[in-house]
Amino acid sequence: QSQIKWRMQTYAGAALAEHVIDPAIKMFNTIAGDRMQIELFYADQLVPTGELFQAMQRGTIDAVQSDDDSMASPTEVTVFGGYFPFASRYSLDVPVLFNQYGLNEIWDEEYSAVGVKHISAGAWDPCHFATKDPIRSLADLEGKRIFTFPTAGRFMSQFGVVPVNLPWEDIEVAVQTGELDGIAWSGITEDYTVGWADVTNYFLTNNISGAWAGSFFANMERWNELPEDLQTLFRVCCDQSHYYRQWWYWGGEANLRVNGDKLQLTTIPDEEWATVESAAREFWEEIAAESPTKRKVVDIIKKYNEDMEKAGRPYRYT
Amino acid sequence: MPYELIATLMFATMMLMLLTGQRVFGAIGFVAVVAALLLWGDRGGYDLGFAAAMKLMKWYPLLTLPMFIFMGYVLSESKIADDLYKMFHVWMGGLRGGLAVGTIGLMVLISAMNGLSVAGMAIGATIALPELLKRGYDKRMVTGVIQAGSSLGILVPPSVVLVLYSMIARQPVGQLWLAGVIPGLMMAAMFVAYIVIRCRMNPGLGPVLDQSDRNMPMADKLKLLRAGLLPLVIFAIMMVPFINGWTSLVESSAIGALAAFMAAVFKGRMTREVFENSVRNTLGITCMFMWIILAALAFGAVFDGLGAVKAIESVFTDRLNLNPWVILILMQLSFIIMGTFLDDTAMLVIVAPLYVPLVAALGFDLIWYGILYTITTQIAYMTPPFGYNLFLMRAMAPPEIALRDIYASITPFVLVMVLALTLVMIFPGIATWLPNYVYGK
Amino acid sequence: MHKAALGYIRAVDAVNHRIGRIVMYGIFVLMGILLWSSFSKTFLNPTLWTLEMAQFAMVAYYILGGPYSIQMGSNVRMDLLYGNWSLRKKAWVDLFTVLFLIFYLGVLLYGAIASTAYSLGYWGSEPMSFFAGLITGSEEIGRTERSPTAWRPYLWPIKTVMIVGIFLMLLQCTSELLKDILRLKGETI
Ligand code: NA
Ligand code: NA
Repeated sequence: QSQIKWRMQTYAGAALAEHVIDPAIKMFNTIAGDRMQIELFYADQLVPTGELFQAMQRGTIDAVQSDDDSMASPTEVTVFGGYFPFASRYSLDVPVLFNQYGLNEIWDEEYSAVGVKHISAGAWDPCHFATKDPIRSLADLEGKRIFTFPTAGRFMSQFGVVPVNLPWEDIEVAVQTGELDGIAWSGITEDYTVGWADVTNYFLTNNISGAWAGSFFANMERWNELPEDLQTLFRVCCDQSHYYRQWWYWGGEANLRVNGDKLQLTTIPDEEWATVESAAREFWEEIAAESPTKRKVVDIIKKYNEDMEKAGRPYRYT
Repeated sequence: MPYELIATLMFATMMLMLLTGQRVFGAIGFVAVVAALLLWGDRGGYDLGFAAAMKLMKWYPLLTLPMFIFMGYVLSESKIADDLYKMFHVWMGGLRGGLAVGTIGLMVLISAMNGLSVAGMAIGATIALPELLKRGYDKRMVTGVIQAGSSLGILVPPSVVLVLYSMIARQPVGQLWLAGVIPGLMMAAMFVAYIVIRCRMNPGLGPVLDQSDRNMPMADKLKLLRAGLLPLVIFAIMMVPFINGWTSLVESSAIGALAAFMAAVFKGRMTREVFENSVRNTLGITCMFMWIILAALAFGAVFDGLGAVKAIESVFTDRLNLNPWVILILMQLSFIIMGTFLDDTAMLVIVAPLYVPLVAALGFDLIWYGILYTITTQIAYMTPPFGYNLFLMRAMAPPEIALRDIYASITPFVLVMVLALTLVMIFPGIATWLPNYVYGK
Repeated sequence: MHKAALGYIRAVDAVNHRIGRIVMYGIFVLMGILLWSSFSKTFLNPTLWTLEMAQFAMVAYYILGGPYSIQMGSNVRMDLLYGNWSLRKKAWVDLFTVLFLIFYLGVLLYGAIASTAYSLGYWGSEPMSFFAGLITGSEEIGRTERSPTAWRPYLWPIKTVMIVGIFLMLLQCTSELLKDILRLKGETI
């Protein structure tokens, strides 16, 4: 029996992938051995990230690690991938929403309809601004050209932010050549890991979402061809990747805020930031009005956040 | 079949296809899509070629390409460089070989106003060359001067080659451009030194100009110096806002193109014919570059898919277990050799992605390597059988200059360039000092 | 046969010539967009659409201008051997090698068609039958693809431009092929 070969592309560049995906794929390859090997490609390597979904659907790429938003997936749930503003506060919120509040089922249905297997969703880091000039009030956001996720950018543009979308690997240089004033794409761990902390000076501690939501996907036919034990192994390795990120980011964010020396921290006062939070609620409704599926997801997010508030400390402090 | 073998086969097929003389982009694109179809045809391999087009669309720094090409054509077609040439003519003519030295000066100034070597070649061949020949300069010497001098266009900022390199190596263009300044001036100085020494040894190569030829009142002579201001102004209009971060790279290129266009308009040189030629040729040359890059990107994606980068890395570092400097020198050598056979742009897009990660892994500075890379590309531009400057020279040279003169003319200059390359390798500060100073690393 | 070939050559060359003559002024469109971008950034608020619009303009410029650049002979060839051949020999070799170029363009065109079908909401693997279905009414436009940016432009227009450009490029190359055949038959073109 010949060895199964998969090509997988992540939307992370090499520096980030070293943490968020390389270990999981190495583990998979070690265990699967002669039976199956996955070849991993980084952001834009084989196909540009914007074409990632089509490539997976056709089978040029067998599996993908990405959020729904960045790879522009043609589903109703695209806007909720990446950073749906203020949907989650902690990285543990994401797996709970998917496993206990019914998002898994909705995602499965949406992706099956377009010939793609949604394997599992996990959380990454919170979404903060890292900029060349300091942001101390909402007025400082005015006119800033920021690399961010499509939906986050659409939301923040009401505060004068000018969202710019460029290939991930070009961001550092784009900040240096003046194409960008800053980045709202990650937490501080990634800013340091991928080199963005070297080209920006300030880090805003207020975030527009507490955790990124992204997933592993596979071409449906390729997935169905896998024997059950390899499917299980793949799931286990995906979960391992989710787990690695849980502690890597959680510890990293705190550590670099306290001990990092490349970025100076700034904060917008809570009262002022509350305007952004309440704008997010309006944004949710705007999105929910677009389709019944979106309505369903927004309702789940609302229900979840209400529950967390009722649960009180340590789930929510306000 | 092992991937390394497939990669080698692809490369060999591409070379063979190029030898048939078919348009370069067709040869490369054909090999790329056939390889993609054979490897992944049952699984969407057919869309890799088009995916490259989408990738190319997102390569925003390439928006500078038509701008710099347009700038170059406006400069050469409108002949606003005439005054510049006259300035050097009068001021340098008294020296042995002075006109050749002045031509290098002219080339440096033109380099500061455009991103390719085409404009320098055109201006050199149409303005400087006839004058030099008329005055008894050795034809091999002057052909070499113009080819070598115009190649400075890609080393002195702005530079399209450095923009492409910056995309591939993911390094900031501003720093790369600044890194090219001192090596560019140094190389120009070395060309000058070579010309002066040669003409001292053999005065027949570059006779002193007749007194009558450059006799004019001092006041007029000083007035001529004003011609030298134009390039400095255009350079400043484009570079100052860019270096200060007021405008982005692509915006700066548009400002530069506008500045060159306005300069021609104000000097009354923007005739219908100049306009027509500049606009039409800009389309032609931009299409040439873009279609080659499009095909080369598809080729590169297949190469990447085959893991060629990792393969090359392991050959050099694990299997041969060489010293980093030996690897670096081998890479430069292989690049010069490939450059003699391969199209230069295609080489940049295909080979640089293979080498740059290795250079980074060896711990070398990628800004510095960008300059080494560009000097090597300059050499590739001039060495037969494949080189843009050679092509252009052949197309533009008057009939008394035979092909073998053109080939013979470059040898001493290529040696000077190799010397410059060596100097930059031994003393990296030549390249890195200025960007470090300006950006205060 | 001769007449048909000549007619084809004339028609294709004329169409591509005209399109190229229009597209070449795109350099000013591109320049205008970029200048507006730096102007608005300095004096007003930065605009959402300039960079992407410039990218679209650039694609239209070089794809639609491609056939005209072939007519002008701008596309370099490696002429180590080719340069020394007689016109007849060049025509003979081109006759075969232009087929490779045509093949490449064909694959590119198919990719463009598939990608455009996707951008009109077709997920299947038969893009040709999708477009045929659009005409006969058995298929309909689904979820249209938008660029994942805040400006969110639809992508089908630029992809359609690419289909048209690559197709014209194919026509131009077949015209070149016919020219070579006629040359070999001893005609002057
Ligand atoms: Na230059
Ligand atoms: Na060469």
